[in-house]
Amino acid sequence: MRRAPALSMCLACAVLGAASTVYAADYVSLAGGTFTSVLPADGKAGDATVAPFRLRATPVTNAEFLAFVRAHPQWRRDHSPAVFAESRYLSSWSAPDAPGPAASSEQPVTWVSWFAAQAFCENERARLPTWYEWEFAAAADATRTDAREDPAWRERILAWYARPSTTALASVGGEANVYGARDLHGLVWEWVDDFNALLVSADNREQGDPDMLRFCGAGALTLQQRENYAVLMRVAMLSSLKAADATANLGFRCAKPGLIEDAP
Amino acid sequence: MNTMSDQGRSAMLAILLALIGAFSFASVPEAAELPTTSVYRLDVPLVDQDGNGLHLADRRGKPLIVSMFYTSCHNVCPLTIDTLLATERALAPNARLGLDVLLVSFDSDRDDPLALKRVADLRKLDVPRWTLARTEAANVRKLSAVLGIQYRELANREFNHSSALVLLDAEGRMVARSDTVGAVDQKFVSALATLLSGK
Amino acid sequence: MKRLMLSCVMAAALAAAGCGSRSADVDAAGAATAAAETGGSAKGDFGPPQGEPIHAVLTSPPHVPPPVGRDHPAKVIVELTVIEKEMPISEGVSYTFWTFGGTVPGSFIRVRQGDTVEFHLRNDPTSKMPHNIDLHGVTGPGGGAASSFTAPGHESQFTFKALNEGLYVYHCATAPVGMHVGNGMYGLILIEPHGGLAKVDHEYYVMQGDFYTTGKYREKGLQPFDMEKAIDEKPTYVLFNGAEGALTGDKALAAKTGETIRLFVGNGGPNLVSSFHVIGEIFDRVRYEGGTREQENVQTTLIPAGGAVMVEFHTEVPGSYVLVDHSIFRAFNKGALAILKVDGTENKSIYSGKEVDSVYLGDRAEPNLKPVAVATKAAAAGALTVEDQVEAGQVLFTGTCSVCHQANGEGLPGVFPPLAKSDLIAADAKRAVGILLHGLSGKITVNDKEYNSVMPPMTQLNDDEVANILTYVLNSWGNPGGRITVDDVAKVRAQPAPAATAAH
Repeated sequence: MRRAPALSMCLACAVLGAASTVYAADYVSLAGGTFTSVLPADGKAGDATVAPFRLRATPVTNAEFLAFVRAHPQWRRDHSPAVFAESRYLSSWSAPDAPGPAASSEQPVTWVSWFAAQAFCENERARLPTWYEWEFAAAADATRTDAREDPAWRERILAWYARPSTTALASVGGEANVYGARDLHGLVWEWVDDFNALLVSADNREQGDPDMLRFCGAGALTLQQRENYAVLMRVAMLSSLKAADATANLGFRCAKPGLIEDAP
Repeated sequence: MNTMSDQGRSAMLAILLALIGAFSFASVPEAAELPTTSVYRLDVPLVDQDGNGLHLADRRGKPLIVSMFYTSCHNVCPLTIDTLLATERALAPNARLGLDVLLVSFDSDRDDPLALKRVADLRKLDVPRWTLARTEAANVRKLSAVLGIQYRELANREFNHSSALVLLDAEGRMVARSDTVGAVDQKFVSALATLLSGK
Repeated sequence: MKRLMLSCVMAAALAAAGCGSRSADVDAAGAATAAAETGGSAKGDFGPPQGEPIHAVLTSPPHVPPPVGRDHPAKVIVELTVIEKEMPISEGVSYTFWTFGGTVPGSFIRVRQGDTVEFHLRNDPTSKMPHNIDLHGVTGPGGGAASSFTAPGHESQFTFKALNEGLYVYHCATAPVGMHVGNGMYGLILIEPHGGLAKVDHEYYVMQGDFYTTGKYREKGLQPFDMEKAIDEKPTYVLFNGAEGALTGDKALAAKTGETIRLFVGNGGPNLVSSFHVIGEIFDRVRYEGGTREQENVQTTLIPAGGAVMVEFHTEVPGSYVLVDHSIFRAFNKGALAILKVDGTENKSIYSGKEVDSVYLGDRAEPNLKPVAVATKAAAAGALTVEDQVEAGQVLFTGTCSVCHQANGEGLPGVFPPLAKSDLIAADAKRAVGILLHGLSGKITVNDKEYNSVMPPMTQLNDDEVANILTYVLNSWGNPGGRITVDDVAKVRAQPAPAATAAH
């Protein structure tokens, strides 16, 4: 139901101006709004505002990424340069153009760098979601748009962090939240477009550090909602990465601004 | 993302446009393939303080210090320029001539060529060896990602950002970086001097 | 005037006589103190490293690398890898620990004051989380944390000079710090004084930590970390070296009589302060707080959370010496207990009593929790026999029930009712389930004798344990036999506790 025709066919459809079956992936719509982010918008305590946007319902899978790599061989792991993806890019696949038995088609693709993820998204006229878009979407659970105050919501997420990653990744398609987005928690970490805007100190105890030169007019970002560990750990994870890095538990999904597809 | 074939394509396009008389994109030299760690593999179209269009990879062939700033920044960015000037002064005058400097703005919305020119004039920067440039927001993010520079736009249109001087060799490989602001980083100067002397 | 002068002179003479010798003592003591002062970090830089770089030998607890044995500063390369792994925390209970070097506590690092340490922190590719390290022996921002933030599958490097001697804690400082520490990310680094430490026969590495799980103490299965309990500072386990039984039974620390022992003892926390004591021993020397000064003849020493201590003592008498946190409920109800087994010939002139009774130590002195593991496995496979239950129940009975009801079920006349040939049990075996789960107080009659005491509810026992203990009781000391199953217990547990007894 979700898996649709190959990307190339869909791009052809786009050119022809076909409407609803244009893109391979399911995108769900989010109206956006103002909300309290762990990263204050003014650097101190301001709320963040998210314009309406669409988000892929699930992380990008091995099958989808394989189609991309086949259509754009410069993104094969044996062709992509080190500046865009580290040496372990797609290392969980058995071959440069075949995920193999260890990386099932419905599992989220991992061992992808930020550049590779951006390239995939650009190919379907999308981009990586911004941190605020991701956080906004991830605040929801199955019944509420903002479940972050619920200790049970936090404990569930913390429990995922605590599980070792020695077992195989699950397939995408977990329980949908109120927006219809799935697997924002409990499956993989996900890249965001502005991962390098998370100006937190490498020593996370230095919140409110008065070194104003550090980040030009700001010390390390003061993270709000310190009791929201589940989200803070995600910030910590993303802030430890460089754009060419990849890890076993890091995947991505794409986002598009607005609620209506632009004319091709 | 660009590849060799895309660069080839834009080179041909450039020739075509030049013939038509539209404003020309400098074509990317196709001499030898860029190293796999070269920053020049990232295509970043830029517009400089004089309104000229160029690409990041045009700087290939000469050592380059690249950094990022924005013109309405009153905290660190003036210091970044000071640091760059002081770093240059630590070199012998003829060694200096072998070095290019590129400063790209975070602020795609408000830093147009006029704003860039104002800074270049105010600080009496050695244009065209020095270039101040702007590009679209998505490219700013990609450039910062490849250089390892962090930045974030605040609600009041100011930017918080890390400061780094990144030294690229003639082929675009990162050979040194300095986070020191307001003082000359001796290690960085040594690396720079070594690179310029051609060793 | 003359008298005044005379008294002044006399006073002066007396003062001179008395004060003279006293001031000499004071001077000597002062000189001793002045000589012993290390001068801290200002005097800890012995210049650039000399000789070839050395790769530090790191050890897993409870072992300690050999003394540095160098008289000059060197460059020491330390390579430490963070590994997230599931390991047992108690019998039948596992936990996902985040470790430095694969163990809790992490590897022991040993360098010399003045050394230049090139620290490589690696984060295993299978890790989910980024990690860093703060070594309390580092002078510099974050103790290294700012320079060592490492994504999974990557490596960071930073260099520091060990300016201060002492025994220091290191731990992960990635947010939320309490969770990383609570998952076991701590260890010790010893920065030897430049003259080295006195030679001893054994050196051991012990580190206390508090652990927070959503399940109860000894509740079986993989237990997740509980952030609420950690914030409320209500640990489920308080342990030496990361697991119940980590240093008991065949894993007990070993020594012989007539030997000197040095223990490097740390406290990773995250929350609790330790009242560290070795039952049956006195610390001859304590370098309190892991610093330079020593105290002598100490029974119990405080180890702050995020702190350490070096204790030394000499063994005279063989036996099992129990290391505890003397906040004693932690030792007997949360697992803060380790054993030092000293072998050798008895020395009646020093201690004539018998070996510590196994009742006191319960099931922790011997490696006999095996029947419980066997029973757990059998139950999981659906093949639990009465024999399995009886053997497991016996092991659990010792130390839990035997303390009051005695090892032979006799009880204490007038105080604790007997379990042997008990008419109460014979009348209704299932009633015993309720007694274990909910406790019992008020007047009862057992074997024609009246008892009016209070038995507390055994809330630390889970259904398997209750079933096994009662099956053992039913099949011992002339009781009628039979078995209690896990379902029997679950049924009773599901019912509300009985109303207040007649005594109220």
